[in-house]
Amino acid sequence: MAEAAAGKKVIVKVKRQATPKEAAHWEEFALNWRPSMNVIICLRDIAENPVTSDGKPTTPITYDSNCLEEICGSCAMLINGRARMACSALVDSLEQPIRIEPLTKFPVVRDLSVDRQFMFESLKRVKAWIPIDGTYDLGEGPRMSPEVQEKGYPLSNCITCGNCLEVCPQVNDHNGFMGAAIFSQVRLFNMHPTGKMHAAERLKAAMGHGGIEDCANAQNCVKACPKGIPLTESLAEVNREAWRQALFGWLVG
Amino acid sequence: MSATESQPDASYLLRKLHSLTGILPVGAFLAEHFWSNSAALVSADKYNQTSAELQTIPFRIFVEWAFIFLPMLFHGGYGVWIWLRGKSNVSQYPWVKNWLYTAQRYTGLIAFVYIGWHLYTERFLTQGRSTYASVEQDLQNPLFLTFFAIGILASSFHLGVGIWNFLCKWGLAATVRAQRAAGQLGVLVGVTFSVVGILILISFRFDWHPFASYINK
Amino acid sequence: MKQPKIIVVGGGLAGLMATIRVAESGVPVELFSIVPVKRSHSVCAQGGINAAKNQKGEGDSIAKHFDDTIFGGDFLANQTLVGRMCEAAPGIIDLLDRMGVMFNRTPEGLLDYRRFGGTLYHRTAFAGATTGQQLLYALDEQVRRHESEGRVKKYEGWTFLSAVIDDGGVCRGICSMNLHSMEVQTFVADAVIFCTGGIGAIFGRSTNSVVCTGSAQSALFQQGVDYANGEFIQVHPTAIPGEDKLRLMSESARGEGGRVWVPKTPGDKRAARSIPEAERFYFLEEWYPKYGNLVPRDIATRAIHRIVYEEKLGIDGQAAVYLDVTHIPVETLNHKLEGILEIYEKFIGVDPRKEPMKVFPAMHYTMGGMWVNAEDQGTNIPGIYAAGECEYQYHGANRLGANSLVSCIFGGGIAGPAAVKYAKSLTTGAAAAPSMVFERERQRQEEMNQALLSGTGGENPITIWKELGEIMTEHVTVTRINKNLELAYGKIGELTQRYKKINLSDRTKWSNQTLNFARELGNMLVLARVVTMGAYQRNESRGAHYKPEFPERDDYNFLKTTRAKWLNGDIQLTYETVDTSHIAPRARRYDAAK
Repeated sequence: MAEAAAGKKVIVKVKRQATPKEAAHWEEFALNWRPSMNVIICLRDIAENPVTSDGKPTTPITYDSNCLEEICGSCAMLINGRARMACSALVDSLEQPIRIEPLTKFPVVRDLSVDRQFMFESLKRVKAWIPIDGTYDLGEGPRMSPEVQEKGYPLSNCITCGNCLEVCPQVNDHNGFMGAAIFSQVRLFNMHPTGKMHAAERLKAAMGHGGIEDCANAQNCVKACPKGIPLTESLAEVNREAWRQALFGWLVG
Repeated sequence: MSATESQPDASYLLRKLHSLTGILPVGAFLAEHFWSNSAALVSADKYNQTSAELQTIPFRIFVEWAFIFLPMLFHGGYGVWIWLRGKSNVSQYPWVKNWLYTAQRYTGLIAFVYIGWHLYTERFLTQGRSTYASVEQDLQNPLFLTFFAIGILASSFHLGVGIWNFLCKWGLAATVRAQRAAGQLGVLVGVTFSVVGILILISFRFDWHPFASYINK
Repeated sequence: MKQPKIIVVGGGLAGLMATIRVAESGVPVELFSIVPVKRSHSVCAQGGINAAKNQKGEGDSIAKHFDDTIFGGDFLANQTLVGRMCEAAPGIIDLLDRMGVMFNRTPEGLLDYRRFGGTLYHRTAFAGATTGQQLLYALDEQVRRHESEGRVKKYEGWTFLSAVIDDGGVCRGICSMNLHSMEVQTFVADAVIFCTGGIGAIFGRSTNSVVCTGSAQSALFQQGVDYANGEFIQVHPTAIPGEDKLRLMSESARGEGGRVWVPKTPGDKRAARSIPEAERFYFLEEWYPKYGNLVPRDIATRAIHRIVYEEKLGIDGQAAVYLDVTHIPVETLNHKLEGILEIYEKFIGVDPRKEPMKVFPAMHYTMGGMWVNAEDQGTNIPGIYAAGECEYQYHGANRLGANSLVSCIFGGGIAGPAAVKYAKSLTTGAAAAPSMVFERERQRQEEMNQALLSGTGGENPITIWKELGEIMTEHVTVTRINKNLELAYGKIGELTQRYKKINLSDRTKWSNQTLNFARELGNMLVLARVVTMGAYQRNESRGAHYKPEFPERDDYNFLKTTRAKWLNGDIQLTYETVDTSHIAPRARRYDAAK
């Protein structure tokens, strides 16, 4: 233990907030460095020994995590001021002290844990699903060209982490903007052979409150997306579909 | 339950209109304005002649209000409303397009104030009869000159970025490649307008007419 | 009677499928999940989903899928329902396709299929290398649709504590805790379907997600639901070692032509790419010429252990071998494997398209789980159903790659209607159960919380958990030796004693993850005992269960399902005959034709 204590330290500052109503404050921790540490490992170290760097006992940090391989979308947080996934944030690539804060565009539950229900509600609003008749046997699905699959597959990789909302200047308290992820789903379902039949419904929702027009092309979303989803392409595509629907929808029904 | 039937709302149409008016007619007018003022690069007479021609177009008041003043007021006014609904975070995410987003707001406001003042001094105070001499005189004042330069650069920048935004936001440039091309077009427009605008200023300020030789032929 | 009500606990593939089926039948359903269901562990499944569609003209058939599954599971699976699953598989693929899953396509616009371990056929439909994610999302979207139309109510951020069981031994609902308010509440249901997934956390580090603690099934076990074949733990041959998690490197890497090798010279320090072909030992291809790199997981895992621990040929003396895809064209890799290669690149910082990956086996899946009947996923307690990884039914002694997704959807798909049918058959529904039954369960759970919150001993739950994981990984995974199992069992007992003295570093009443973890840990310790005891008593080698002291399969004594029962705090193992009515057991060999 002595040599570990004498070894390299990782300094981590965490923004704490006990309940949604209480004020936030910062706590600093000094952890033992190990190779290939990520931010999740830091938070686990703190949970095992919740003592601040000035020796004060505290509580373990509440945070969301699950898969730890950047596919469940749970552990999005601000790390050194940037929205990203904690599991893939390697300590050696971060400037110290590492500052960890909850996302700011969603209500804080406690510490780093936030409530992203807004995104799931938005998915309902735009009807992000294929309305199948039922799960009983109705034979094969529609044929799809590999080209469509290759366009659709990256979009269906969206993990609803919320990073694209977090970095978007248009997502804030004065604005109901649903965020890039949602419109990318609209594009996905509108490109599917069955989903296409209900494209107008999704487009109407995309033109409603918090809809696509609130996008102001800052294009931060595409840079922050951990899955490399072409969000700006999706926004542009849905924009085009939407105004065509608005202009000509009433003509062709 | 939020699964209520969603419908296009008024703000959708207003935003679309805002985006459109930036190009047509406001952007187009800006192009026309720079073009007609370029007459100063030929000669004072050419400028006065062009100016006089413009002042005598039929239905002038109607054309001015319907295609210039009102769209501009709407574009500027609604633009401010849009600004208030956003919250710049460029200090946190200092990425190029995020800078453009923020700059687009400030240049829009500068351009709006400048154009308002410009209209007031050159259109309303002079009852639409501004001449080469009056402009030349105005520009002898260094404050006026600076304000003109800032206004021209801000308007040019705003139009350049606006074209890029327009092409992306209407889905006319949808792929990453097309958006890159749209960006290049925006840069080209912004730079061209800036250069031409500044040349016009220089022309007035220093009585400089590089194309004067055209007349002698 | 009035409209029945069904509860589903767990929102992975099985839980969502069960939910959809119940909602479709017009019965209201409440769906409980610790995490938002879209973040369930099913997202981590990578390679694909099996169905014998014979779309490559290789002569594949349902019978062959059935045989591969039974043979791969070393004849320990009850055969009738496995047969039904294989029959249903092509229809399940069609259904998922209709739901909009972005499966990879052939130029004709049909689904593409790849090869997976334990079969000679291209039977695995896939969506890039994130098939589980794509399937989960498709079902999640359908559930969201039902939710928005009022047929499903979700309770996300609630953890299951216990079933509410009346004096007649019938399940009448559940007791659950809100992970924000920490409030303990009971919910009435005529039938409850559990789809609570894997148990990776009892091994400390595994390929599983954080929520895969097995806590729910352990709690149910302690309430009388039997637990079967707990000793069968699949160790995946290829994972990327990490301190927080052992990240899976999908079998699809080998399915698409990836090769496993080590340098022939022990301790060879040269860079992988500079080692000439002749000095590489492709041990799987050499030892198993027919299946090569695509032998089943238990075989590949043991081969890697042998290479590392007996032949001392691990890369540079470490516990690792190369998984090499560098010979495959980059376009193919990006098209078919991008998702998993990105994981390697992101977490290790090396591009696997250019450098062979370093991998090592990791605990991956439990074939064992809650005992269910062979008709409709019902457990031995009336009103409790189970589907997905948390039950034991489909994979015998070893699961074949890409069979888990199909078993989740099939199991969930039959559990839903079964629960509805049962609920409708009740003469007195759960709503008529005395409120005392609910209140006493709620109080019992509150008291457990209070006891944990007021504990003043010196023990830290995370320390206990880490020690548990080390013991389980060392003694109860790949190679099992009776004296070590005895030792492990004793140590788990010690940890259980220490657990009684834990002291929580967080005693608050809002979003207290420490309290929830402590509760899960108590349940993990019980399940760890079930697994260890099952391994200890099974003196043979079968599928994933390998005992060098008993290297042969012993059908006479152990062609049996282990069925663990909880009797007043003690675990008792009984053995049941396995249904082998369709395929007669034969020797399981992959080094020659079957």
